[in-house]
Amino acid sequence: MMDPSVIAQTMLVIAVEEGTVLLLAALGEIYAERSGVLNLGVEGMMAFGALMAILTMMATSSYVLAVLVAVAAGLSLSLVHAVLSIHLRTNQIVSGLAITILGLGLSGFLGRREGIIGRPIVALPDVSVPGLSAIPVIGPAFFDQNLIVYFAYALVAAMWFLLFRTRLGLNIRTVGENPAMADSLGVNVYGIRYLCTLVGGALAGLSGALITLGYYPAWTEGMTLGRGWIAIGLVILATWNPSRALLGAFLFGGVTALPNAFMSVGYQQIPSSFLQMLPYALTLLVLAAASIRGLRKKVAPPAALGLPYSREE
Amino acid sequence: MEGNPRVDSSLGDYLVELRGIVKQFPGVLANDHVDFQLRRGEIHALLGENGAGKTTLMNVLYGIIKPDSGESYVKGRKVHIRSPKDAIALGIGMVHQHMKVVEPHTVVENVILGLKEPRFLLDLKEAASKVKQISERYGLKVDPFARIWQLSVGEKQRVEILKVLYRGADILIMDEPTSVLTPQETHELFSSLKTMAAEGKGVVYITHKLKEVFELSDRVTVMRKGKVVITRGTEGADERELAKLMVGREIFFHPERTARPPGKEMLVIEGLNAINDKGLPALKDVSLVVREGQILGIAGVAGNGQKELAEIIAGMRKCTSGRVSIGGADVTNKPSKFVFEKGLAYIPEERIGVGAVPTLNVAENLAVKSYRYRPFSNRGLLNREKMAASASELVKRFDIAAPSVETPALFLSGGNIQKVVLARELSGVTATEPPKVVMASYPTRGLDVGATEYVQKVLLQYRNEGCAIVIISEELDELLALSDELAVMFEGRIMGVLDRDRFDPESIGLMMAGRAAEVKGG
Amino acid sequence: MRVASPFNLNLKDIRLIRRSSLPRWESILFSLSGLVLAFVVTGVLFTIVGVDPLAAYWAISQSFANPILLASTIERATPLLFAALGLVVAFRLNFWNIGAEGQLYMGAIAATGIVTLHLTTYPFPKVIVLPLMFVTAFLLGALYGVFPALLRAKFQVNEILSTLMLNYIAILLGNYLIYGPWQDPGSHGFPNSRIYPPEALLPSIPYIGGSSGFLIAAIASVVVYIIMNRTTFGFELKVTGDSVRASRYAGMSYTRVVALAMVLGGGLAGLAGMSFMSGIMGRMKENFSGGAGYTAIIVAWLAGLNPLVAVMAAFLFGGLLVSGDTLQITLNLSASTTNIFQALVLVFILASEFLKKYRIVWRGVG
Repeated sequence: MMDPSVIAQTMLVIAVEEGTVLLLAALGEIYAERSGVLNLGVEGMMAFGALMAILTMMATSSYVLAVLVAVAAGLSLSLVHAVLSIHLRTNQIVSGLAITILGLGLSGFLGRREGIIGRPIVALPDVSVPGLSAIPVIGPAFFDQNLIVYFAYALVAAMWFLLFRTRLGLNIRTVGENPAMADSLGVNVYGIRYLCTLVGGALAGLSGALITLGYYPAWTEGMTLGRGWIAIGLVILATWNPSRALLGAFLFGGVTALPNAFMSVGYQQIPSSFLQMLPYALTLLVLAAASIRGLRKKVAPPAALGLPYSREE
Repeated sequence: MEGNPRVDSSLGDYLVELRGIVKQFPGVLANDHVDFQLRRGEIHALLGENGAGKTTLMNVLYGIIKPDSGESYVKGRKVHIRSPKDAIALGIGMVHQHMKVVEPHTVVENVILGLKEPRFLLDLKEAASKVKQISERYGLKVDPFARIWQLSVGEKQRVEILKVLYRGADILIMDEPTSVLTPQETHELFSSLKTMAAEGKGVVYITHKLKEVFELSDRVTVMRKGKVVITRGTEGADERELAKLMVGREIFFHPERTARPPGKEMLVIEGLNAINDKGLPALKDVSLVVREGQILGIAGVAGNGQKELAEIIAGMRKCTSGRVSIGGADVTNKPSKFVFEKGLAYIPEERIGVGAVPTLNVAENLAVKSYRYRPFSNRGLLNREKMAASASELVKRFDIAAPSVETPALFLSGGNIQKVVLARELSGVTATEPPKVVMASYPTRGLDVGATEYVQKVLLQYRNEGCAIVIISEELDELLALSDELAVMFEGRIMGVLDRDRFDPESIGLMMAGRAAEVKGG
Repeated sequence: MRVASPFNLNLKDIRLIRRSSLPRWESILFSLSGLVLAFVVTGVLFTIVGVDPLAAYWAISQSFANPILLASTIERATPLLFAALGLVVAFRLNFWNIGAEGQLYMGAIAATGIVTLHLTTYPFPKVIVLPLMFVTAFLLGALYGVFPALLRAKFQVNEILSTLMLNYIAILLGNYLIYGPWQDPGSHGFPNSRIYPPEALLPSIPYIGGSSGFLIAAIASVVVYIIMNRTTFGFELKVTGDSVRASRYAGMSYTRVVALAMVLGGGLAGLAGMSFMSGIMGRMKENFSGGAGYTAIIVAWLAGLNPLVAVMAAFLFGGLLVSGDTLQITLNLSASTTNIFQALVLVFILASEFLKKYRIVWRGVG
């Protein structure tokens, strides 16, 4: 039996690490959905980003380049989704699924082709924040992480601020609620939707990079393990609010640590499945809550989510 | 009396002057050489019934519509208003009947939506204090940080007004604002408007309610059929005179309207009360009787409860109290399926989308209510052959121009779609026997002359054969031509029911504008 | 002359005219050119990476030509077809059921539950095992599908989001069962259920090989077709899907229609899950579906929501899945290579859908 504080710390570390991956993808998806575009392609963008990051790292030994390429990878996939969903007004569900399949396919194909399965790289080093990282239990988990994680923390604040305290954010939210009205007020609906969808793709790619560069520094097929889908659920739990996404991300991330935690205290993995259901059940609850009159508007999805917009119709 | 406004050489006196505005829409001359002025510090009422041209005129001023000809002057300068942006830049603001607010945003966010400045950072506190300033100055109480969905309808309207004032408007156009307000909110609105006028702003107040004209306005312009009938000071005006001018016309009787002794009571409505979608009372103690072989026309400006009345009769909305019966059977608050099984045909206001589904074909549209009965289906299995056969027969009978019964409805003209609706409704539940009661909401709206004539003819035909028919229409002419009795609705009440022989523009006008007139007994 | 770039290419330059109708041949032409484009682009991609595109395409075609692979194709098409049929019904109603994956899992759970029961505590007469599995798989899937339907009908809960969440819960439930109470004692800790006995397996099709489950699914597609076109329920489905307001006006109850649709939809997806167990794997494992519930969405959509066309579409997709393995073995390519092809086909067909609906008029030039 291990020392409970060690277990707690390990769990917390995993929660932060896994959570940050989810967080990045979720932040991007929040922006996309806030503007009204449903992007179900996150998983594919994440996978593609993860692969391109490690490939670039192997080729150039530059973390910076690897991150940039991963972001570009996510961006390019989301561009396809954006054109299909915004200009061509296709069914956003099918389009998103196509992108997921494309991203997964591309990453699997290229990964195998380049023969990098299992080949390790040097993971991103952790940078510990002086002072804060010494706090027992919490310190190492939150403040002894790699730079992308710190970037994610900053991003939460920045994205929250942008969404709720700037004109751009106001316009984004209006486009997602009532694009016709935004249009009549002179807001560039298409432009904003493109912007938000591309941001979503870029961050999904970045989250993939975090996986390979940060935590699993060797590539195998299917290593994203459905995190992209979890991120989409996280967006709902966070009620499309970046600051709540932070909490939800750690929650979702934390439950992935449960199986190991249980084993190390002697329980078998079994009941952990039920605890793992918790975030999803909670999300369902949030969805159901939106129907209660008083809560409806506080937790409801953007009204125009998934609906293509055109000026004539 | 045709009011010919003095062409004032000192244009500076007028905030707004519109000269000779002409606007033609397909089939209707909405504005026929209209002259209109708004003085500084005045509240100018624009009075008229549906389709008189008031909203069109103001849409021209606000830049939503471009006039075919005419000139606009704002504060003494000639202007070309091409879009609402231009209008706003000139200090004109319009508060529409149907509010354009974004529900999850706060009041402040709604007010500053779409502004160019500030470009990046939103100083919500500063904006909020400015909003508070304006709201206190004009008595428009509302919490700047409240979210729109938390507000009452009256408060939402205040947000609209604040939006307009925030942008520095000194010319306000209010389009039928009180149709959604409680009496208390109306009172507060009026005092806000009077404060604005006292400061030198100008308000154009579109309404059909006489009471408001007299309570609020300094001058009133009456429009009818696209023309200005009179412009005069409100003080000392005679309301009966105004009502008559609003509605005055010659009454033409439809040639096929033969006199007919009324049969037994077929549709009986007693003491109906109901609430609309916004939670406000829509119907107040409405009672009506329609007999076999009679057409009851329901007149009144749209938004006075007609929609809710039709929906309740058809079983598509619940009433809070009262009784509805068809042919003696009680149908109060029963589902729509029950109501049409009892013999009600309902021609809905929304032809496309409710009455007919564009993606379904003609035969399917014709069967959309009768599909569940024999012979069209048997124990859950559809009999498409019978559906098609019945459809062909109906197409012939009602002269529907469609390439085949398999043609999707979206390829039909508006008139033919309405014929499909008529054919389906008038052939009753089993497609064989006629209905007992026909409820027709705006049946000729948007139709060309030929289709309109056809619809009217058919309605009269079924009347002559003994159906009890209720027609809601915004075309007073149509109602006067077709109806045996005319009821006028205002703010959810029946102001009066007039018998054929007493169709008189003055009475009708008064009732439409909110004054009760002589009520036909029974 | 202004140079057009994606960003000044706004609605002012391009006018889109909604087409009122499209002759059938043009419609097929658009779809086919989408298909051809996908082939070309994938071929280019292969060439860039140094793979011979023709060799790759030959490998893909073997899924249909080679008899052993054909049997595999049929097998893998079966769950896709079942699930796609369920989705066809739901999508016709504009009820965006993303939860086929979860409903599928519930069906698998039901089937495995019966088998586990049969092998441990209550041995059933062999003859009724398979039918019992069918029935329970359908029921459990149906229940799992009706739940989000009611959430939508009564509480206006967005079904895309709710069914997505329910997927996870079902998958986690399945994992719990095969890691825990239903784990095969002979598996030494691996997450497998007990091996299905012969009476719980779907028989193979004589001569061709491949699971007879496909035949059952094909029959199901005919049944679904009949339901959608020849029953009052199918009529209600169509009307409600095209206009909810009109359906209310016609006296139809949205709750009833959506609930029935999802009984059918969830139930069929449940059968898909069962067919994975009884037709392909012979036991329940972790991640057995390979995302079939999501693939089925694509199948249904590509089939134009037509249950009969879905048979062909599922068959083709089954072939693609098999060819993924072929490519891995013969050309050492990842099995997910076919995913690229799949995705590109989708993207191009999505784009062509747009062209079918709208004509592009560039500043007056048609």
